[in-house]
Amino acid sequence: MEPVLMKVSNLVKRYGDVHAVDGVSFSVPRAEVVTLLGPNGAGKTTTLEILEGIREADSGEIEVFGQRMRRIDRATKERIGVLLQEGNFEPYLRVREVLALFASFFRTARSPAEMLKAVALEEKANAFVKTLSGGQKQRLAIGVALINDPELVFLDEPTTGLDPQARHNIWSIVSNLTAAGKTIILTTHYMEEAETLSQTVCIMDHGKVIAQGSPRDLTARLGQETIVEFAAPDDAELPSSLPGDCEVARGEDGFVTVKTTDLPSALARLLDWSRASGVALAEMAVRQPNLEDVFLSLTGRRLRT
Amino acid sequence: MRDVLHVARAQLVTALRERITLFWFLIFPVFVLGLLGLIFTNVGKTQDLTFEISVVNLDRGTVGGNFGANVVETFRELARPGTPGETALFRLHEPGTEEVQTYLVGEIRALRIGKREAVVVIPEDFSESLYAAAGPSSAGAASALVTVHTSGGRTSSDMALGIIEQVIARVDREILAKLGLFDTARVVAVEQLQVGSESKSFSYVDFLVPGVMVMGFFVAGLFSVPGTILFGRERQILRAYWMTPLNVPRFLSGFSLGHVALCALQFVCVWLLGRFAFGAHVNLFQPLAILYLLLAMVTFLALGFLVAALARTPNAGMAIANIINMPLMFLGGLFFPTGSMPPALRAIMLVDPVTYIADGLRASVGVSPAAFGRGVSLGVPCAWIIGCAAVAVFRLKWDVER
Repeated sequence: MEPVLMKVSNLVKRYGDVHAVDGVSFSVPRAEVVTLLGPNGAGKTTTLEILEGIREADSGEIEVFGQRMRRIDRATKERIGVLLQEGNFEPYLRVREVLALFASFFRTARSPAEMLKAVALEEKANAFVKTLSGGQKQRLAIGVALINDPELVFLDEPTTGLDPQARHNIWSIVSNLTAAGKTIILTTHYMEEAETLSQTVCIMDHGKVIAQGSPRDLTARLGQETIVEFAAPDDAELPSSLPGDCEVARGEDGFVTVKTTDLPSALARLLDWSRASGVALAEMAVRQPNLEDVFLSLTGRRLRT
Repeated sequence: MRDVLHVARAQLVTALRERITLFWFLIFPVFVLGLLGLIFTNVGKTQDLTFEISVVNLDRGTVGGNFGANVVETFRELARPGTPGETALFRLHEPGTEEVQTYLVGEIRALRIGKREAVVVIPEDFSESLYAAAGPSSAGAASALVTVHTSGGRTSSDMALGIIEQVIARVDREILAKLGLFDTARVVAVEQLQVGSESKSFSYVDFLVPGVMVMGFFVAGLFSVPGTILFGRERQILRAYWMTPLNVPRFLSGFSLGHVALCALQFVCVWLLGRFAFGAHVNLFQPLAILYLLLAMVTFLALGFLVAALARTPNAGMAIANIINMPLMFLGGLFFPTGSMPPALRAIMLVDPVTYIADGLRASVGVSPAAFGRGVSLGVPCAWIIGCAAVAVFRLKWDVER
């Protein structure tokens, strides 16, 4: 068994002068979740669609299951599962029928009943696709992606547009897959999703992978810092009497971020400043750095802007 | 094969569950057949009974007179109302200035589509035969014949025949009296010829049923095929298929199989309605008719692929289908004979695959004579299939533009 199921080297895709994917390289170890994290337009979906065979790269190399290939062939399709970002099914087919239809496309497949249980859609087995909620449709799509019991699963923004409950349901399904030893490539622009589900995160921006590693490694690059955040009016002067190691920045969302390695001193000085300046430390929060902070430190922009 | 059958099944059940598709596939053809059948087969007719009769006198006459003219005059009398406001028994149609044979052909066509109840033809040798049969040396001579064309299976036509026989009997007696003979032997007999080939009796519904079937296949191919492909492409339903080992040829096989199954269902519905509601007894279950029906399914399936290949969006596809629909369907002779069509429209008719399929199908079951040779009526639709398939192969996109 190959220890690395997919290896991508220097992948390039251009549309005119725009470099949608600009020299992307990463590896996908067996039984791990690798996430491409970045804002909209970062090149995540284009990269994934090249790997799925929907688009063709201008240059670069893709190695899948130990074989170098330009395009995904039929034999490889038997071993992969794909959740499209905007995929759909015939609205007048029943849930069970959709699963049976897709099962018929593969040499070996799991039974529709088994998949209904795996994605918690047993009660909706006889419902028409058009009557399903967004979360149920997405669970069905995941069921379809897993119908052939694939070794490698592509999940393109699986929770975009879903409510928190539906999102957690999807996370639960993905976690079960991981526990079952499946290898997953996932794209998302939700930092929490990447942190919760992934062993490896590739942070993408403007078609490039600007950082990659485990969520812990990536946040550790920011040092042993603690972050204090609070809301402040735009015209309020930023505090200047903080300890020397503190970094202060004002975000576009009206929040002030203070990074410090000496939290007690920083908090004491902030309270002094608040009393002196009359600026309330509204919505103040103290937290450890996350991938959002990593992205901010690398690009100067927030992930969700 | 399992994948092909599943795609076919999905195509079939989706169409049967979607109201719009169901309407165009099953309800619309049944509705058209019901509507035209009611209009042209006298079902539910409550007005005063007047028979549309055509009388064509070809009698050359003899030195003793033109007895054919006596027959015509008798019909003319019956075509006059007895009192003002009363409805005459017959509405009589006679040749005008046109050539008599041309007129006769037109009247037979009118009879076939239900515009005449009977066409009476007095032959050229009527007077001669009558003299031979009724004169002094009449021993062993055959009766003079008047030919009456009727439309078999139509009640009104059968009734007209009965009345015409009585009229002829009256004429018979009048002529005998004129010749100074007693009514001891009948000298004028009636020979009945029913419209259609092989002595079968066909009605307008028999003419209509194959036309409605072809229309159903046409609408299904033209609207359902591009609809499914273009909507499937836009909504990325098809893309989900391409992520699996299913490829375009296998998808197409399943899709086409599902389409043919749906057309077969449509065939059964129209046939049942025609047979049991309107008394059609045209036999479509014969090899040549089935060949034309299959040809119709495949031709219009190919036409649907052509529309899908030409359109970038579902709305554009529906617009193209609508533009093609009207001229091809109505100029193809599905509901009415196309013989009297103006030359400009005949040009469209002659490139219309519907024309050849409808003509070939009707000729194969004997409801109307073939206007085109079998090679032509099979070859033109095949040429359309090849042409449409060629365009589709090069132009049809199976995934959203990238």
